[in-house]
Amino acid sequence: MQKSDNKRLRLIISTLVIFVIIPIVLYAGVVYLNDRKYYFISVVIVLLACVPLFIKFERRKPQPREILIIAVMAAISVAGRMIFVVVPGFKPVAAITIITGIYLGAEAGFLTGALSAIVSNIFFGQGPWTPFQMFMWGMIGFLAGVLGKTGVMEKKVALILFGVFAGGLFSFGMDVWGVISFSGIFSWEAYVAALGTALPFTIIYAVSNVIFLLLLAKPIGEKLKRIKIKYNILQ
Amino acid sequence: MKSFEMYHPLVLFYYFMTVIGMAMFFMHPIYLVLTFMEAVLLNFLLLRHGFWKKLMMYIPLFFIMAIINPLISHNGELVILYVNDNAVTMEAICYGMAMALMILAVIIWFNSYNGVMTSDKFLYLFGKLSPVLALTISITMRLVPRFKHQIHIITQAQKTIGMDYTSGSVWERIKCVTRILSILITWALENAIETADSMKARGYGLPERSTFSLFVFEKRDGWLLGVITLLAGISVAGSFLGYTTFYFYPTFSEMEWSLTSVGFYSVYAVLLAIPIVIEIKENIKWRYLRSTI
Repeated sequence: MQKSDNKRLRLIISTLVIFVIIPIVLYAGVVYLNDRKYYFISVVIVLLACVPLFIKFERRKPQPREILIIAVMAAISVAGRMIFVVVPGFKPVAAITIITGIYLGAEAGFLTGALSAIVSNIFFGQGPWTPFQMFMWGMIGFLAGVLGKTGVMEKKVALILFGVFAGGLFSFGMDVWGVISFSGIFSWEAYVAALGTALPFTIIYAVSNVIFLLLLAKPIGEKLKRIKIKYNILQ
Repeated sequence: MKSFEMYHPLVLFYYFMTVIGMAMFFMHPIYLVLTFMEAVLLNFLLLRHGFWKKLMMYIPLFFIMAIINPLISHNGELVILYVNDNAVTMEAICYGMAMALMILAVIIWFNSYNGVMTSDKFLYLFGKLSPVLALTISITMRLVPRFKHQIHIITQAQKTIGMDYTSGSVWERIKCVTRILSILITWALENAIETADSMKARGYGLPERSTFSLFVFEKRDGWLLGVITLLAGISVAGSFLGYTTFYFYPTFSEMEWSLTSVGFYSVYAVLLAIPIVIEIKENIKWRYLRSTI
C-alpha cells in the first residue's frame, strides 16, 4: 500500500512539473527577458524541461535490466528512423515511443523518446533542433504512459486517435521552433502560416504513426508485457 | 591535420557552447557578420572538400529565410512598396537577413561541433555529470548497428522460408516487415536481459568503479579555458553595457564606431578566431617539420 502511494505521488509530481512548472518558466522567460531573444531562451527552456525526468532516472539508480530495455527500445526507433530515412516524415520513432510509454510507463516512454532524439542526432548531426525533438518525442512517450495507466490504450480506436494526436503534437511543437527561428519572435500569424506549409508533413506524421502503431502495438506490446512480468522490471 | 580537436573535450564543449550561445544572443550586425564569417572559415578548415557541397545547400536556405520575414512583418519606417495594402519595409528585409545569417551561423557552428566533438568525447563529458544516462546513450549507440546487422540476418532467413519482403502485394510485404521487426524485438529483448545479467555479475553498480578514458587535462587546456572565459566574459560585459544591442524596428539604430565599441568587436573576433588560429598554426608547423625531414 505504502509503495503504491509513493508511486502515485511520484506520478503526480512529474505531471505537475511538466504541465504547470514548465509553462510558468516559459511565461517568465517571455515576459521578463522580453528582448527578442526567443531563439536562445526557447532552446534553453526546452532543454531544462527535460532535466527533471533525467534527474529522476539518475537518482533512482536503475537496475541494468531497466537500462538495457530502455536502450533497446530507443535503439529500435533510431534504427527505424535510419531505415526510413529516404521517406521524409515517415518514421516509426513516435510509434515505438508511444508503445514503450503504454506498456512500460510514463518515465520509460519519456526516456525512450528523448534518447531516440539524442542518439539519432549523434548519427544525423546535432543542432539547435535537438532539444526540441527530445522534448516533443519525450512528451509523446510520457503522455502515452499516463494514458496507458488507465488501460484505455488497449483499444484500437484509442490507439488510432493517439497516433493522430501525437503526429499533430510533434508537428505543432516543431513549428513553434520553426517560427521562432525564422522570425526571431513568436507571432500567431507566422505560426498559422507555418502550420499551413507543414500540413503535408503533419499528415505524414499522423498517418505513419497510425500505421506503425496498428502494426506494432500488439507484437511489441505482448513482448514488453511478458518481459515486465517475467523479470519484474519497471513496475 | 586537425589540431583543435586534440584539446580536452571539456575545453571543446565549453568553447562551442559559449560561441553558439553568443551567436544566438547577439543580434548586432557586426557581431553577426563576425560569427558567420568565422564559422564558415573554421568549417572550411575542418571539412575542406566537403564544405562547398554543404554551402550550396545553405544559400537557398538563406534566401528563403530572408524572404519570409518581410512577408509577415510590416513594421519599419522605410517603406519600399505596398503589397495588398501591407508595407514591405527595408527594416523587415534587413531583419529577415540578419535572422537568416544568425540561424546559418548557428547551423555552421554546430556543423564544426559535430566534426570535432565525436560521440566518445560527448559521452566522456556527459558521463561525469550523469553516469546512468551516459551509459544508456552509449548502449543505445552500440545497439543501433547491431540491430541493423541482425535485421539483415533475419531478412535472409525469412527469405528462405518464403517470407520475402521485396516481392508480393503491399499487404504481404507489410506482413513480412512486421514479422521481421517482431522477431528482431524478441531477440533484442532476450539479449538485453542477458547483457544486463552479465553486467550485474561483473559488478555494475558497486562503489569504486573506475572508467577508462584517453583524455588528459593538460596545461594548454587550462590556458585555453582561461582565455576563452576571459574573452567571453568581456563580450558578455559588453552586452550588458549595451554594445551588442541593435534595433531594427521601428528603424535602424545607429552603428557605433567609438574606441570602446571597436574594442568589444575585436575581443569577440579574437574569441571566435581561437580554433582557426590553432588550426592554421599547427598546419604551418606540420608543413615546416615535414619540409625539414
